[in-house]
Amino acid sequence: MNCDVVICCRVSPKQKASITRMVKEHSGKTILAIGDGANDVGMIQEADIGVGISGMEGMQAVMASDFSLPQFRFLERLLIVHGHWCYRRISKMILYFVYKNVTLGLTLFYYNIFTGFSGQDLYDDWYMTMFNVLLTSLPVLSVGVLEQDVSSDVCLKFPALYQQGQRNICFGWKRIIGWILNGILTSLTIFLLNIYALSPSAITKHGYTADMEHIGTITYTSIIWTVNCQVALMISHFTFISHILIWGSIICWYIFLYTYDILPPTYPKIVFHVFTEQIGPEPAYWIVTLIVVIVSLLPYFIHIVIQRSFFPMDDHIIQEMKYSGTDVSDGPMWLREQERSKQMTQVGYSARVDAKIRHLQEQMHRKRKSFYSS
Amino acid sequence: MSSGDGASQSSSKKSKKPTYSRFTQQELPAFKPILTPGLIMAAFVFLGITFIPIGLSHLSASDNVVQLVDRYDEDCIPTYNSNPEEAHNKRIQYIRDASTNKTCVRTLIVPKKMRHPIFVYYQLDDFYQNHRRYVKSRNDEQYRNPSAERKTANCEPEAVNDDHEPIVPCGLIAWSLFNDTYSLLRNDVPLPINKKDIAWQSDKTHKFGSNVYPKNFQSRSLIGGATLNESIPLNQQDDLLVWMRTAALPSFRKLYGRIETDLEANEVIKVVIQNNYNTYTFNGKKKFVISTTTWIGGKNDFLGKVYITVGGASLFIAIAFISVYLVMPRPLGDPSYLSWNKNPPSN
Repeated sequence: MNCDVVICCRVSPKQKASITRMVKEHSGKTILAIGDGANDVGMIQEADIGVGISGMEGMQAVMASDFSLPQFRFLERLLIVHGHWCYRRISKMILYFVYKNVTLGLTLFYYNIFTGFSGQDLYDDWYMTMFNVLLTSLPVLSVGVLEQDVSSDVCLKFPALYQQGQRNICFGWKRIIGWILNGILTSLTIFLLNIYALSPSAITKHGYTADMEHIGTITYTSIIWTVNCQVALMISHFTFISHILIWGSIICWYIFLYTYDILPPTYPKIVFHVFTEQIGPEPAYWIVTLIVVIVSLLPYFIHIVIQRSFFPMDDHIIQEMKYSGTDVSDGPMWLREQERSKQMTQVGYSARVDAKIRHLQEQMHRKRKSFYSS
Repeated sequence: MSSGDGASQSSSKKSKKPTYSRFTQQELPAFKPILTPGLIMAAFVFLGITFIPIGLSHLSASDNVVQLVDRYDEDCIPTYNSNPEEAHNKRIQYIRDASTNKTCVRTLIVPKKMRHPIFVYYQLDDFYQNHRRYVKSRNDEQYRNPSAERKTANCEPEAVNDDHEPIVPCGLIAWSLFNDTYSLLRNDVPLPINKKDIAWQSDKTHKFGSNVYPKNFQSRSLIGGATLNESIPLNQQDDLLVWMRTAALPSFRKLYGRIETDLEANEVIKVVIQNNYNTYTFNGKKKFVISTTTWIGGKNDFLGKVYITVGGASLFIAIAFISVYLVMPRPLGDPSYLSWNKNPPSN
C-alpha cells in the first residue's frame, strides 16, 4: 500500500475486484476503475466510480459503468474538466437549496413568536406550495447544469484546479455552516424589516393599515427577490438560459400573484385582490422590497468582495487573467504557471525524483550564471 | 461496378459522433463578470448616493405626518386603589356590568395643523388577532351567499345558537367585533366622523354579500363585542368588514373613520368614548389615534432610517475598501497569489 504504481498481470475478474476493494478499504480514498472488457465488470462495479470504454471488446463494461468513454484518452477530460465542474456545481446547488429553504422556513418560525406560538402561517398556502415548485427551483437548475468557473481548455491547462475537489474546498464544513448562517441572517433581516416598516401605522395614502395578508405578501415578495438575486451573485458564468430562469422566476411570481388574486374569492380567500387593488399600487410595497433585498444580500456581497480582493482563490486569479487578457499579452507567464500547476499534481516516485532533479538543475544553472556574470 | 460499390459503401458508413451543438458541448456564449475594484467601488457608491436621498425623502414625509395617540383603557375606569390586582378585578367587573355608565371624555390638543382627510383609528395592543384558531374561525361562503347560511364549518363555538339556528355572520372573528364608539367635539362643536368607505372595495363588492343579513348574532350566553343591525346587509357594515381582516401582529390599528375638515394647531379636541369593549381580562390596551397621511402612508420613521443607514454604510465601506486597497493593492491576475506560488510544492 506504500507503492505509487502497482502492475498486476494475468489476473482474473474476481481478483481485479478484490484488489479494488482492498485499496478502497485500506486507503479510505475515492477509487476510480476504468476498463474495456467483460473481465473488468467486477472491478468497475466495486469501485466508487466505474468508467467503461466502449469499443473492441464489446459493451459489457459500458453497461456496468457509471460513465462510458469511447477512447481511453478521454479519461483526462472526464476528470479534469467535467469532474471539476460537476464538483463545483453540485456543491453550489446543495448549499443554495439549504440556504433558500432556511430563509423561507425561519421567517415562519419568527412570525410564530408574534402569534402566541399558535402555528399560524404568515403566507397563503398556495404561495408556499409554489416556492419550491415554480418560483425558486429553476435558477438553481441553471447553476447545476451550466455553471463553469473557467472554460474547458483552461481546466486542461491547469490541472491543479482539480485538486480543489480533492481537498474538498467547496463543500467543507466551513462553507456549509457559512451558508446556513447566511440563511438565518437573511431570514431575520427580511422578517424584521418588513414587520417594522409596515405596522402599525397606515401604509397607503388613503389611510388603510396593513393586515396579515398584506404583510405576508410583501414579506414573501422580498424573499422571492432575495433568493433569486442571491443565485445571480453566486453564478460566475451567465448564459442566456441563466438570465431567463432567474429573472423569469421573479416575473413568474408577479404573474402568479396577479392571476391568483383575480380568481373568484372562493379560491384565494383572504388574499383576494391583494396585489391588484391593495398593495400593488402602493409605493410602500416597492420601497420596502428594494431595501429588504439589498440589506439581505449585503453580508454575502461584502464577503465575496473581501475574499476576491484580498484572499483570492486559484480560479479567481485565472478568471482575472483571462478577463484582463494577460494570458495573451504575457504568454511566457501563462505557460510558466501552467507548468508549475502540473508539477503540483505529479504523483509517482520516479516522476517526483525527476521534478526534484530538474529543480536542482535550474538552481545550479542560475548560480553558475551569476558566478560567470560577476 | 466496383467503384460504384465503393462509393455506396462510404456513404452508408455513418459517423457515431453526436451532432455538435453549443448547448451540449457547454460552449454557450456567456457573460462572465469579475469583481474588479472599480466595479466594487461603483456598486457601493451607487448604493450610497441612491439610498440616502430616498431615505431622506421618506423621513421627511414621515415627519410631516401629524399623529396623536391616546391610551384610554386605564384612565377611563379610574380605580383609586393602589393594589393592582384589586384594580384589575374592579375594571373587569365594571366593564361586564351592563348598567354602568361607559361614557368617558378625553381631551387632546392638536400639536400642528392637520390637513384633511384626517384618519381616526383605534389601536389594540396584546390582542392576538393572528392566533391560528381565531383566524380559522370564519366561513367566507356564508358571508357571501344567503343560501349558504347553514354552512358554519370552522366557526365553532360561534356557529349555531342554543336553538341550533345558524348564526350569521358566524365565527369568533365576527363575534369579537370591537364596539367602542368615538364622537369628537372641537371647541364644544360636534365634529363629524365620516364612516363611509373605510373598508377595502373588494370586500364590499365581492367578499361580503349585498343580500346577506345578520341573524341570531350575539344570541348566545357570552357576548363578545358589538351587535349588528339586522336590516343592514353585511357588505354595508363597514366596521365589521374592517374588523374581519385579521391583523398580522398583536399590536394593530384599524380604521374607524375620517375627519373631512382641517384641524388647526392648538385646537382642543374632546373625544367622547363609549368604553364598551372588554380588553381588561387579558390586560390588553386600547388607544385612540388620529393621524394624517402622506404618499408613504402614516408615521413611520423606521424605513427612512434604514435607507439612510444602509446608504451611509455603503459609502463608508466604499471609503474603507479604497483605503485598504491603496495600502495593499493586488493587481488583477497577479500570478503570485496562485496557491502553488504561495506554497511551493515541497517534496
